[in-house]
Amino acid sequence: MEEIIFGIGITALAGALATVAGAAEDVESDIGSQGDPNSQVQLAPQMGYIHRIFNKAIAGEPPAYGLWVALGAGLAWAFMAMQINPILAIVLGSALAVFVQGVYATTAYLGRTASLAKFGQPVYIDILKSMTTVTMAHAFVAIFATVAMCHLIISALGHPFPLPLLGLVWGIALGAAGSATGNPFYGKERQYQEQKFGAGVPISASGNIVRYAEAGQRNSLDNGFFSAKLGGPASGICFGLIVFFELWRTVVFEEFNIWGPIIVGVFVILVFAIIDRYIEVWARKNFGPYTAPEEASS
Amino acid sequence: MSALGGPKQAGGIQPPTTMGLVLGIVLIIIALILAFFLVQMAGLIALIGIIIGGVLIGFGVHFVPVGGAPAAMGQAPGIATGVAMLAAGAGLAGLFGGAWAAPLGFAVALAGGAIGGGLLMAITCTMVNVIYVFGMGIPAASGKVDKDPITGDSFPEYKSQGTEGHGLPFISWVGGVIGGALGGLGGTLIYLELLDVYQAQLPVILNATVEQIAPIAISLAGIFAVAMFLINAVLAAYNITGTIEGPHDPKFKRFPRAIIAAAVASAVAGIFAIGLLELVGVF
Amino acid sequence: MSVKIEVGAGGIPHNQILIYGLVGSVILIYLTYLNTYMQAPYFAFFGGLAAVVALIWGTDTIKHLCSYGLGTGVPSAGMIALGSGVIAALFGATTGIFAPIVTVIIAAIIGAVAGLMANAVVRMDIPVMVVSLIELAIVGAITVLGLAAMACGTFEFLGMITGQISILGFTITSYETSLIGGSIIAVIFMLGAIAIQHSFNACLGPGEQQDRTLMLAAECGFLSMIVVAIMSFAFIDRYAAIITLVISIIGWLYTYAKYIELSKRDAYAWLDAQPILEPKGGA
Repeated sequence: MEEIIFGIGITALAGALATVAGAAEDVESDIGSQGDPNSQVQLAPQMGYIHRIFNKAIAGEPPAYGLWVALGAGLAWAFMAMQINPILAIVLGSALAVFVQGVYATTAYLGRTASLAKFGQPVYIDILKSMTTVTMAHAFVAIFATVAMCHLIISALGHPFPLPLLGLVWGIALGAAGSATGNPFYGKERQYQEQKFGAGVPISASGNIVRYAEAGQRNSLDNGFFSAKLGGPASGICFGLIVFFELWRTVVFEEFNIWGPIIVGVFVILVFAIIDRYIEVWARKNFGPYTAPEEASS
Repeated sequence: MSALGGPKQAGGIQPPTTMGLVLGIVLIIIALILAFFLVQMAGLIALIGIIIGGVLIGFGVHFVPVGGAPAAMGQAPGIATGVAMLAAGAGLAGLFGGAWAAPLGFAVALAGGAIGGGLLMAITCTMVNVIYVFGMGIPAASGKVDKDPITGDSFPEYKSQGTEGHGLPFISWVGGVIGGALGGLGGTLIYLELLDVYQAQLPVILNATVEQIAPIAISLAGIFAVAMFLINAVLAAYNITGTIEGPHDPKFKRFPRAIIAAAVASAVAGIFAIGLLELVGVF
Repeated sequence: MSVKIEVGAGGIPHNQILIYGLVGSVILIYLTYLNTYMQAPYFAFFGGLAAVVALIWGTDTIKHLCSYGLGTGVPSAGMIALGSGVIAALFGATTGIFAPIVTVIIAAIIGAVAGLMANAVVRMDIPVMVVSLIELAIVGAITVLGLAAMACGTFEFLGMITGQISILGFTITSYETSLIGGSIIAVIFMLGAIAIQHSFNACLGPGEQQDRTLMLAAECGFLSMIVVAIMSFAFIDRYAAIITLVISIIGWLYTYAKYIELSKRDAYAWLDAQPILEPKGGA
């Protein structure tokens, strides 16, 4: 029994770390316009909309986070193998992984922007100076929280994978959850703020991203502040729930029956099916059918 | 992930070429024979398991609703990320659960892997709809079909002007969960088969106990499972040219091509993974 | 709405890069064998240099392949390359002194099968598909083998699975603290998978220039070397690791500075804290 209570505590802590990681991951990727919304930042200058938004095209978020977290975990593992205290090792490993992330971010912005010279998009070097550090700070939070969570899963819950492999697995899952949940909110609601609320962006409006802010010209820090309001926390909840349920069903129910975690897993999936269906029906009722065709406002 | 145009595949589905089919069958047979000669019956069973695992991954990717870049703007239905990567996220989360349950037996581990992948997709797909509905005020609407095959909801009047649909209709949600579960099942199957092979061979080669070599066996099986997962997922992603809405999408009918490709690629990659330890100490 | 992938023309022909890349990286990997002769891992850094050369070649290959439009992101090509590569590299490593050659052959087989499946079964029908996937698998395999050799001082399998651990002054052999037992191979896998696709993914556009893209490839290689050098402190002699680290930092600083210079050359304008320059005629 005591073991289960200990396990539940670790599970809760891992879930909390995952929530922080997911939130930081989404805000980080939105500040850099990484992932799918990147296509619009890339497209805008070609349509004649010169902008001052960070264009951090590293890869999709899942592979990129697969690397950052695996790298942080690998370095932490190596430092632990050199007899360094685990907490210090994880901090050092995450810091070095963030250094790699920062270098990749700068080269991606320079490369993409320089290749857009034909359309008159200049390289704004102050974007690199002011925003790279902010994405690095968010990435540090995300990497540190995920690596710490992986370390907990191994040392306290006894998962057989070595730390770097577990970092790779959860890093890719973190990127998948964060990009799936957070991207539409940034891509539609922020980049295309001027378009009608409650409707998708008409394809004809592609590239016409919002380039001016409340005061002055919009830069990616404004986008970070926006994402932190809903997209980031939602991504955090998404990844936190994934980690929590994944651990919880094993830690608690494996004691009773080896099939316990699987039955509970199926049950949780069914609960989410009901939640999803409720949300869908709620939206259909409240947002009503679009009887009259709307005009695309671009 | 990025803004890349795919090759336009207009019209019907092009069937695999005869040359491709024959070559595929020959390669699978050669791999099976090699497996039998290298590791006897255990190797043959392991390779068959790996091929089935690869096929499950390739098939599962077709269920995962992915809209790519347009989905991030509410221009196309699906999840806004890359299909291979989302499937990898789900499959590897399944691998996490499956590897954890490995000591409890084959069936439990497989089921654990499948549920792990399905759970990730269930939560992710639900959160995608939460963002669409409560963050952006957009109801779900498919662009490929007029009626949801499961719930019977009609879509055209909910589709906003100038888009191909948006959000995740219930059929896509179900597809996502099935895809994640198949991915997790396939990844775990590959991992378990390879783990069995290595745990049988490594103690003999290194003259050590099973406990001592466990880290090596787990690492090798884990990294090879990840590698084969990515090969199969990318081949399947090429098959659907990047985006798909789920099992109701016409592109879903292309899945036999991906199954053949995944089976052959897994057989060839699998034979090298199984035969890995045969040459240790020979040179 | 998708953006066409445009690449710059001109530059060094691809076949020339292919030959230099293949021959150069295999020779460089073999130079790490000096470690075995000298009984000290001071030449481990040659493995990292082999990875840098291979990545430059792989970047040019990705550029050729992706200019056809794959239907999904550029990163997928990197994933399939390293997925095939890691299997080939670990299989090759078991063959002792023949490791680099065997690795190249195995990678070519896996890449050829993946390419044939993509073209003949999945019907991508891209003319350079088979050749490109063969090249990418070889590049992936050499990158993994090179960085692994750099981390633990040898490209032989037994060296990768055994490590030392010192407890209270006593040094004992342990499988857990080895390159594979600790799954550092998973980190090398991801480092390669991102590095191989990043340079082209980051530089694509109508103004893409070959020298800039390849300089970025070298930069990614040296950056990966830096972190592998730091991890190699856990496996090899301290002074050897310091040599590796210093070489990688020097290489990285040079290529990074050079890349910024080339970006400055190609950019429309290089501005600091300036407002948006609206194009003539307004948007």
